[in-house]
This record gives sequence, C-alpha cells and structure tokens, in this order.
Amino acid sequence: MVKPASDSSTASAQVSPAGIWAIAIVFAALAGLLFANPWPYQRPYAGAGLVPEWATDTATVRSPKLKPEVTVAGYTYPCSACHKLFPSPSETDRALTQHGEISLEHGINNRCFNCHSRTSRDAFADHRGAAIPYDQPQLLCAKCHGLVFRDWTHGVHGRTNGYWDASRGPLDRQKCIRCHDPHAPAFAAMRPAPGPNTLRMGDTQPDTTHHPAVENPLLIHKQPAESVDPKPGEGH
Amino acid sequence: MTDSGEKSRDDHAAPAGVPGPELTRRGFFSKGSAAVAGGAALAAALSPLRDLTGDNVPSVEEFLQKHYKAMTPEEIQVVLKRIERKVEQRYEVDVSVQDVKPLDGVEFVYALNVSRCIGCRKCVHACVEENNHSRAPEIQYIRVLKMEKGSINVETSDHHYDPPLVPEHDSYYMPVQCHQCAKPPCVKVCPVEATWQEPDGVTVIDYDWCIGCRYCEAACPYWARRFNFADPEIPSGELNPDMTYLSNRPRSKGVMEKCTFCLQRTRQGRMPACVEVCPTGSRKFGNVLDPESEVAYILKHKRVFVFKEDVGTFPRFFYYFDERGSRYHEPLDVVDPGDSA
Amino acid sequence: MRLYFTFLLDCFRLSFVGNWQYHTWMAVLTVISLVGLHAYCQQLVHGLATTGMTDQVSWGLYIANFTYLVGLAAAAAMLVIPVYVYRNMHLHDVVIFGELLAVAVIIMCLLFVTVDLGRPDRFLHIFLRFNFPMSMLTWDVIALNGYLLLNLHICGYLLYAAYRGRQPSKAFYVPFVFVAIVWAVSIHTVTAFLYVGLGGRPFWNSAIIAPRFLASAFAAGPAFIILTLQIVRHYTNHQVTDDALLTLRRIVQVALIINIFLLGCELFTEFYTDSAHVASAQYLYFGLHGHDALVPWIWTAVAFGGVATILLILPASRGLKVLNVACVLAIVGIWIEKGMGLIIPAFVPTPLGELVEYIPTLNEILVCVGIWAFGLLLYTIFVRISVPVLSGEMTWRAESREDTKGGVTLSTATA
Repeated sequence: MVKPASDSSTASAQVSPAGIWAIAIVFAALAGLLFANPWPYQRPYAGAGLVPEWATDTATVRSPKLKPEVTVAGYTYPCSACHKLFPSPSETDRALTQHGEISLEHGINNRCFNCHSRTSRDAFADHRGAAIPYDQPQLLCAKCHGLVFRDWTHGVHGRTNGYWDASRGPLDRQKCIRCHDPHAPAFAAMRPAPGPNTLRMGDTQPDTTHHPAVENPLLIHKQPAESVDPKPGEGH
Repeated sequence: MTDSGEKSRDDHAAPAGVPGPELTRRGFFSKGSAAVAGGAALAAALSPLRDLTGDNVPSVEEFLQKHYKAMTPEEIQVVLKRIERKVEQRYEVDVSVQDVKPLDGVEFVYALNVSRCIGCRKCVHACVEENNHSRAPEIQYIRVLKMEKGSINVETSDHHYDPPLVPEHDSYYMPVQCHQCAKPPCVKVCPVEATWQEPDGVTVIDYDWCIGCRYCEAACPYWARRFNFADPEIPSGELNPDMTYLSNRPRSKGVMEKCTFCLQRTRQGRMPACVEVCPTGSRKFGNVLDPESEVAYILKHKRVFVFKEDVGTFPRFFYYFDERGSRYHEPLDVVDPGDSA
Repeated sequence: MRLYFTFLLDCFRLSFVGNWQYHTWMAVLTVISLVGLHAYCQQLVHGLATTGMTDQVSWGLYIANFTYLVGLAAAAAMLVIPVYVYRNMHLHDVVIFGELLAVAVIIMCLLFVTVDLGRPDRFLHIFLRFNFPMSMLTWDVIALNGYLLLNLHICGYLLYAAYRGRQPSKAFYVPFVFVAIVWAVSIHTVTAFLYVGLGGRPFWNSAIIAPRFLASAFAAGPAFIILTLQIVRHYTNHQVTDDALLTLRRIVQVALIINIFLLGCELFTEFYTDSAHVASAQYLYFGLHGHDALVPWIWTAVAFGGVATILLILPASRGLKVLNVACVLAIVGIWIEKGMGLIIPAFVPTPLGELVEYIPTLNEILVCVGIWAFGLLLYTIFVRISVPVLSGEMTWRAESREDTKGGVTLSTATA
C-alpha cells in the first residue's frame, strides 16, 4: 500500500507525463463532482410544530366569580333574591327542583348545607353556622381539608403566581375553586400538550413494561392490570 | 494542508520528476494542469462555504468579544446593544437585551410536587415560548416522564405519551429539567469556562464563549443541556422581546444552552414561566434563604427527594410528595355515603 | 538555520517523488481527503445537524475515532520501551516509524476533535480561559499537544541528524524519549479519564476503563506498526528484521490477552451485578427494548479480538502471513470496541431513560474517512522521507556535492 522510496528494480521511479495527466483528470473530475454537490444537505427535522394556544395559557382552569350571584336569561340576581321567597327546610331528602345542573360529586359531602348557609344564602357556613363570605372559599374548604389548607396557606398546595419577591410585587395565591369545582372537586383531566419531536428522534418509545430486561419480579406485577389498582374507597 | 500540498506537489515535482534536460514544455504542461486541477478540486471541496450567511460568520467585534466575566460594565453595554441590533435585524422585532445581575442574599430553589403533576406538558411549551427556543429543530428544556406506579425507574418511563386525557390512571408524572446543581458536573468539565454557577445558584452559559464541544452535555446526569445542531428557527411573531445576556436571547448554531430558571424573570422577582403556567400548582419556586418562602417551607415540612442523589451533584431542584397522593384514579361516586355519615 | 530550511525543503520535495504506485496511492488519498473536506464544509454551513448526533447521543463517530486514535498514538511508546529501557536492539531501527505514526495520528486526533466542535471559529477561547486543572479536556489538550511536540522533536532531530550525516547526540533526544514514554501512558490515561470522570454516565464511570484503554492501545498500536513495517520492508530497502516483527508480535500478544482479561472483568461486574446501570452494556451486547444497532458490531469486535488472540498465541503466527491477519483483526476489532463500543452505548439509554439510537450520516462518515485519508497521507510522506534520510541516501552532503540541484539529489535517492 505505502510505496515510498526506491524501487530500484522496477526502474519506474518517475511517473510519465501520462500518469500526471491521469492525476490531473482525476482531480478535474473530482472538482466537477464536488461542485455539483452530489450529497446535498437535507434537514433531518421537521418544521416548527403546531403548539395550541392553550398550551401556554397561564389562566387558571376555572374562573369563578366569587360572588353569591346567579345569571339567568341575561339577568344577574343575588342568591338571596330567590331564596328569600323560598326558604329551605333544614334537612331534605327530596329531589331538587332547582339547580338541577349541579351534580354533586364531592365524596361523602353530599348535603348542600354542609357548605351553604341555610339562613343566609349569600354566604357559606362554618362549623357553628356563622357566615363565611363567598370570596373566602378556602375557609369553607378548610372545614374538612385541614391538611391541604395548611399546605395551601404556606403555598405548598395550589398555584402561586406573580412575584416570589414580595418587595417587587404581589404573590398571587390562587384560591381553591380556581382549580377545583366545589361540587365535583377532583381536578379535571385535560388534554396533554404535544410531546417532544426532537432532532432525529426516530420512533417513539416502545412499550417497555414487559421487556425482560426490566421485568419486575414482584408478584403484584404479574396480576391482571385491574386488580393492581386499589379498590375504590379503600383507605379513606 | 492537503490543498497547499496538492498544488505544490506538482510544482516541485517538476524538477525532480523529469531531471534536467528532459524538462520539456510538455512535461511542464502536464504538471501545470495537474496543479490547476488540484486547485480546482480544492476550491470545489471548499465550495459549500459560499452558503455561509452573514449570521454564521462572526464579525470582528464578535470574534474579539471577551468572556462575560472579563468584560467591564461598559463593554457589556456595548455588547448588549450590538446583540439587540442583530436580533432586531434578523427578527424585525423591537427587543431589549439586558444584563441582570444576581440578587444578594438569594439562592433559588425549585420544588416539584410529584403527587400533583398531571403530565399536561404546559410547562414545556411555556418554557419554549418564554426562552426563545429554536422551534425547528425543536429544543425543549423540560422533559415530562410518565412513570409507572410502583416504580421510580426512569428506564421504564415514557417520554412520548399522547393519550386523549391526562393523567392516566396507571401512571404518575415526573418532569425533569436543569437541577441547577450546587456541584455541577457540567461546569467542572467545560474546557473554556463558558459555563459557571452564579451566586444565586443558577448555572448559566455565555453563548458567545461556548465552543460547542458538548462535554457538558455528556457530563450532565439529568440530560438538561441542549445543543444547537442547526441554526435555530424562531417565528418572529413568537419572539419574547424581554431578554438577558445569560438567559433567553436567541442562541446561535453550534452552542449549548440550558434552563436558567428564567433569569430574565426571576432576577426581577417574578416566577419562572413553568411555575406561572402550571395548572395544578405542582411547581414551586423561591428564595430558599428566606425562611418565609414556599420552598423553605417545603424543605422543612415535606418529604422531599432529589433525583439521582447518588451522583453527588446536590441539586437545587427537589421533588416532594403530599401526605396523601391524588385521587385521580379513585372514582369518587362509588363512595357509600352511608358508611361515614 | 538555513541548512534546516534546506532540510525541510528537501523533505518537501521528496514527498512528491516516487514511482507510479506511490503517486496513485497519494492521489487516491488526496481525493478522499478533499471529499472529506467538502463534507466538513457542508457541516460548517449547516451545523452538526449534518451528523447523526442528537441531544440524546451527543458524541458519535468523531469522538469514537478520536478515542481509538489516541490509543494508536501510544504505540510509539511500545516500541521505545524495549529499545531504550530493555536494550532490545531488534527494534532500534524501527522505533522512528512508531514515533512518526504517533505524530500523524495525533494530528488526526486533533482534527477529529476540531470537526466535532460546534464553533471551531472560537477555538482560541481555549487559550484565553483555560479551565485547568478542573476540566479533563484541558488535560487532554496538554497531553496530546505535548505528545505531538515530543515526537516531532525526537523524529525531527533524528532525521535532521541523519540528514547532516552526524551521529545524533544522546543528550538531545534520549531524555525526551523517556519523557515520551511516560507521556504516552498519560495521553491514554487522561483520555480515559475524560469519560471515566462522568458520574452521570455509569457505563463510563468505571475504574477499569483506563487500564483497558492502555491494554487495547498497546495491542492496536504495535499491530498497526507491524503492518507498516511489512509494507516498508516490501517496498523499500530499509532493513526490518524478522526479530523486530516478532518482538512486536510478543507485545501485541500480551496486550491482547490483558485486554481480554480486563474485558471479562468489566462484563462480569456489569452483568453479574445486574443493577440498573447494566442498561448501556445490555444495549451494546444484546440490545435493549428492541434497539440493537450496535450488537452486530460489538460481536464482530469480540470475535475479531478473540480470533486475533488465539492466532497470536498459536506458534503459527510466527509466520508473517498469519501475523498480518491477526494484526488486521486486532486493529479492526479494537477500532470497533474502543470507538463505537465505548462511546455510543454510554448515551443509550439517556440519563432520563430515553432510547434514541445513533446512526452516522453519510456526511459524517465522509468527514471521518477524509481525516483518515489525510492521516495516512501524512504518514506516507513521513515514511517516504525518513527511509532515504535514515539510510543516508539523502543527505546534506549529497545536496552540496550536487551543487544544490535538488532534483539530482532526489533522483539518486529514488534511483
């Protein structure tokens, strides 16, 4: 392969002009080839993906008005406007004739007057029946959700927006009902924003859960999927 | 080297190749044409360079620009103005590029509630928008991992989940981004000191100093660093005009970038974009040196863990739990009210 | 001083003189180098997106080749040690080929690092803010460039002395030879530490990587030199004794056995422990979750390494044909193992468990091939020059006698 130096025997130590010409032709051909750029660059990635507006929307998932009001046919009434006329009994098992749109899915908390004041409909009721104003719903939630309330007061549960530095601006601690519907408080499931589509990402991950390399030997993982989930209602 | 070697090869071969009297015109001509052809081949090899646009060729000032830490405040101002001009020229948007210094008595800490994250990925896209990431090729600082319940093994996690609704019942979610380590391996390995830890705990990059060796990317145990493999593309209309030198100004091809806890926001007292957008409030941010801060409370009162504690990087990014996990998978309507009443 | 320039000029001219085979070989290498240069210019324009690398696998073929070549560069030490430490004179006349190889290979290493940079235009930053001693990359810069200078000095001095027809003065090169021996070990160790020091990459974070580096380097390097010497012997009248080749064979043999032993240690630790950290090794050797791009490669490497070792243990490899085969197998096997087998699996899966495979692009491969061709071009020139110089066919005296007619001098050298 490497042929330096003296081949005295072959006596062809020099290259004839024909050889030089051959080299010249090879280089010229190479020049033509490279100028033609036979392997043009092709972008190995797609254009900018579409990201829906809501994906970057900082609004809270709910925006209740924190006022004891109801809007019917374009008119806004305070709750008391109706409830003055029709006072409720203290306990009732009969089906509601009004507010049929409310489907109460708040666990064991299935009585209106656990939260709403029976006597003053423009307020909530605390444990002793005293009024909690509509714009302070967290005090109402705290009646049952003490641990969460404690976390919330320290900003550990729930959203905080605005400024972490109080000297520069307000820290906006979002109230419970900006995320939770009081009548169905489980945080609503939502559509996920688009996943990654990075350079040459290739195929997305296959299902890895049953691959031998990471098979979990615990027997619970061998059970059918349904029975792995805890029984609803257990433990609380 | 190849090139010059090539041309001269033929020049010099002339006297050697055909000794003395045999140095004919014809021999010289053949060698000359070989030299010319060689030169043409060299030019052809270099020909792709004609597509280099002005953006990709550093100007004299850019070439001579000093390291961020070596610049005087006046020099920094000059550089900021130049960057503003360049960005405005390219994107045709009015922007402001500032150099916001770290605040005294501040150490930023991030906490993320694993019990509450629902994996909606809004943080990912808010981050992209705030920090002027390249949209093509796509660069994102935050990866949300869908984890199997009963395990905390990232190897079984899914990065590309796309169900109609999240959260899914059999999973929990663990977003990962730069952990702003107190002992950052990325800083240690950088050969040119293009990346360093600021006094407020944020590891930053001087995008104008990085040589693009990607050693930091290999060193990061959290896969938090990103490289600009191509010229970043940002639609002009989506450019965030509030920029700082060390964080969200547009990057160039061939340099590293990473999460800076949105320095342009957080050094002015605001929350990072990912905290601001998180619909569940799983993301918490603040000055841990302030005992009244949310993050200080979390470290004191919650059960926290750091990801990959065994690599000894002392992250400033903590994951925490609630006393009781979420009840997403527990349909509330089956609870029998009679039992507890 | 003027004489030195004459020397350089003569060397330069000499590199363009040869028979048609030499010219063909050089022309082919030049063509390939230019194609590589073209590919690199594409990369300069469009960025590293022209390579198969991603944020997930952020180092690829460039760094893999770099790693392998660092190993090859230390081969010189393996020739020098027997001669200067153990006074084994079989190798004395061929040491210079090892050192010339080191020079060419280190230049290739530097090129591979340069093409891997995202911003090669900021290369000077390394001198302005040199993160020493924290960054292992700065250590590597010192180690590689230092080794390059040492070998340039040793080769240059020996050749120049021969050119002037003098006996080289030991004081001018023997101390450097000993420094270079230690330095050769250091370039490996430092390059290994480049990877070993990263806690976030368990595949690399193993103390055995550095010794394995040395063992494989001390196999691949001398194997390469055996092949070179065979070629020199075949095409020139430079004296290369069988004993020299057999001494090198012994070195390759021992190094390969140690390499296989260390590989076994590594595999045992990975697979018997079977911790979460086995994922990368699993990917490399058996494939992970259906991703198995490297599996055929690594088993090829293992097979080549195994066959080469067996061949070299067998007495048959004293026959030079068998020896050649064993050397080729060892070189290719170690290229796969040290290059792709060491670099790429560390990135798969990513620290976040994502599996993205790396497939080099054509452009990237062309750049690599171009650098290899350029390195071979350099080495060919070095050997081309040093053979007549060392044999005294091209000397200053010859030069002056022929009344500075370089052409005539050179033609005597080649006649």
